[in-house]
Amino acid sequence: MKKNKKIIQFAILLAVVVVGALTISDSLSGRSYNPPAAGDKAPDFTVKGLDGSTYRLSDFAGKTVVLNFWGSFCEPCVREMPLLQGVYEKHKDNNVVVLGSNLDEKLLTVQSFVERTGVTFPILLDHTDIQKKYGVIYYPTTFVIDPSGKVKYKKIGEITDARELERFF
Amino acid sequence: MTDNIKCECGHLNHVGTVLCESCGKPLADDDGQGLLEMRYDGVARRSQKANPNVLDRIWNFFSSVKVAVYLIVITLVLASLGTILRQENTFYNPALTDMEKFYREEYGLFGQIYYSLGLSNMYESWWFRGLLLMIGTSLVICSLDRVLPLYRALSKQKIRKHLSFITRQRVALQTELDPSAGPADAWLERFAAALRARRYKVHMEDGALLAEKNRFSRWGPYINHIGLIIFLLATLLRTLLPGWSMEEDISFIEGETKAIAGTPYYLKIDKFVEEFYTEEDLHESMREKGVGMPKRFEAEATLYACLEEPCGQPGTLEELARHQIIINEPLKYDNLAIYLFYYEPTDQIVWMNLTLEERDTRKPLGQFELDMFNPAPVMQAGEYEIRVTDFFPEFIIRDGAPATKSREPRNPGVVLNIAGPGTPPEGYRYLFVPKLGIMEELEDDSYRLKAEPEGNFYLSLASVDDVRLAHYKTYLSVRSHEGMWMIWLGAAIFMIGVVMGFYWQHRRIWVRLDGQSLALGAHTNKNWMSLRREVADALTRSGMEADQKDLDNEVKRS
Repeated sequence: MKKNKKIIQFAILLAVVVVGALTISDSLSGRSYNPPAAGDKAPDFTVKGLDGSTYRLSDFAGKTVVLNFWGSFCEPCVREMPLLQGVYEKHKDNNVVVLGSNLDEKLLTVQSFVERTGVTFPILLDHTDIQKKYGVIYYPTTFVIDPSGKVKYKKIGEITDARELERFF
Repeated sequence: MTDNIKCECGHLNHVGTVLCESCGKPLADDDGQGLLEMRYDGVARRSQKANPNVLDRIWNFFSSVKVAVYLIVITLVLASLGTILRQENTFYNPALTDMEKFYREEYGLFGQIYYSLGLSNMYESWWFRGLLLMIGTSLVICSLDRVLPLYRALSKQKIRKHLSFITRQRVALQTELDPSAGPADAWLERFAAALRARRYKVHMEDGALLAEKNRFSRWGPYINHIGLIIFLLATLLRTLLPGWSMEEDISFIEGETKAIAGTPYYLKIDKFVEEFYTEEDLHESMREKGVGMPKRFEAEATLYACLEEPCGQPGTLEELARHQIIINEPLKYDNLAIYLFYYEPTDQIVWMNLTLEERDTRKPLGQFELDMFNPAPVMQAGEYEIRVTDFFPEFIIRDGAPATKSREPRNPGVVLNIAGPGTPPEGYRYLFVPKLGIMEELEDDSYRLKAEPEGNFYLSLASVDDVRLAHYKTYLSVRSHEGMWMIWLGAAIFMIGVVMGFYWQHRRIWVRLDGQSLALGAHTNKNWMSLRREVADALTRSGMEADQKDLDNEVKRS
């Protein structure tokens, strides 16, 4: 009897601690509207690419990821495309990958834009899911994510010099 | 055992016991004359112990009603702070809004402080959730600590109580029975019968009586707490389990079909209707201002399931439900509820029935339908095959080539590839911007306008019926909550508990005869007057003159 009481007491307090840890950690991570900054863990995502395959950020663990948010309506995004393509070609054998996350445009628009600009790095068709996770408000925004999955650098606005990214490789 | 107290009747009581669990003798204040504290029948809380360890101390903290009250007050005060300024989760798309900027520009310095303190998103903050969690914990522990000993005490009540237990009740009477009226036992039988007529359960034991009714109402508050706990768990699960609940805001232009993110469904707003009050219906002041008052607005919506990817084309969607959505009357399907929460006027082309012509001669070559939101990959106009190869929602010229200014289809332009008799196999490429009446041939690679057009095509509309326009953009909120049944269950149990505790009272009457001297005490948790009347009535029926006032111990003592 005495022993039972102790066990029940302990079980209830344990349940409280578990539920508490879950709810509080949940509100500390993920669901807040604070976008990840340099030093934070980069939120994982699963999304369809323009090539039809599925992309997961965690699939690129061990590689440096340049995650670029763009749209064909955004003039600076369009301007920096050749630079990103250059970075991709130069470093793709160097454990670096460039991902271009398109902001919810029509497949047709994305397809013909990519064809015309000659971009070959993977294009992600984001229906605002990644955008929300990364809290991207202004376009273009570029994240550099290190091989361990941490955000190294966040740039809001056009990148005009490849060295701005390359110093993190 | 050292942590127990022995009563003079021989019963061993736990530390913290106020009234002996067996005979009811006051243990703490046994010489006093005041009214007894009858809370929880004077039993010790489960956790009251002589030598508490760390676990016991935590347990004791949450077991305190005082702590619970403080927690509730603190939570209420903080929760009210969150209502001063707009909360972040009320934005159309909170994750995509520059919150810091909004609070700074909208509310100035106060807004800035409010934002930096985290009050703008406080209901999802760790500390607010922590407070709710502590209230929940206190609810469980407070209840357990009291209900178990109370249950034990009430299920084995001793019938013959200590004299001072009886005389120190709020309803009490001490008198001598008139020997001429017959033996004391006979009177007790008559009194018992009178109480039974009042639906009391009566127990007797050598010259003592215990009458009791509606004990179940004592469990009301605890059942009510179980309901609250279920309710609280349901709201917790909502934030913990992915897919347990979702809320997604989506905008639709009239006639547009879109996927609802997070669900397998597609939704189409077929039509939006806005009706205004007529001039006569309006008050003079409104008429002068010249503003219309909407009388009714509703969105005709159809929910679809996707039969095959990619969805959107006719034949790929299966209709599931159709509803005229008005404010507070959502389209409901399965667990999904789709609410209308905002609309605004717009002016967009949704669909056109176009005639392909020879530019020079205006000779018609064929007709085809162009859906501006979901153009079919290949369309056939007479002998000509037409493909849409590019789409610019808000057409502009950037660096000499067509481009788009935004994602909003305010002025859409499409690139059409027309192939058929008289064209090269790959066809000619045209830029078509209906609103601006542009139909120009493009260079294949650069998208620049061709200096010397080779094709001879033009597109026209035969009649006004050949174009469908959208006049409204609607904003809908798609919500689902798998756990609604749990919320309702919690609420129902809560109400059952409240009703049990509010509409019934636990009443007990103790009588103790010592020779011819009678001691009577009675207890209830509320509605004392009715208890006094019941006792007085039973006494009168048993053949004893009794007045309600004589039973009121409080009045007698003052």
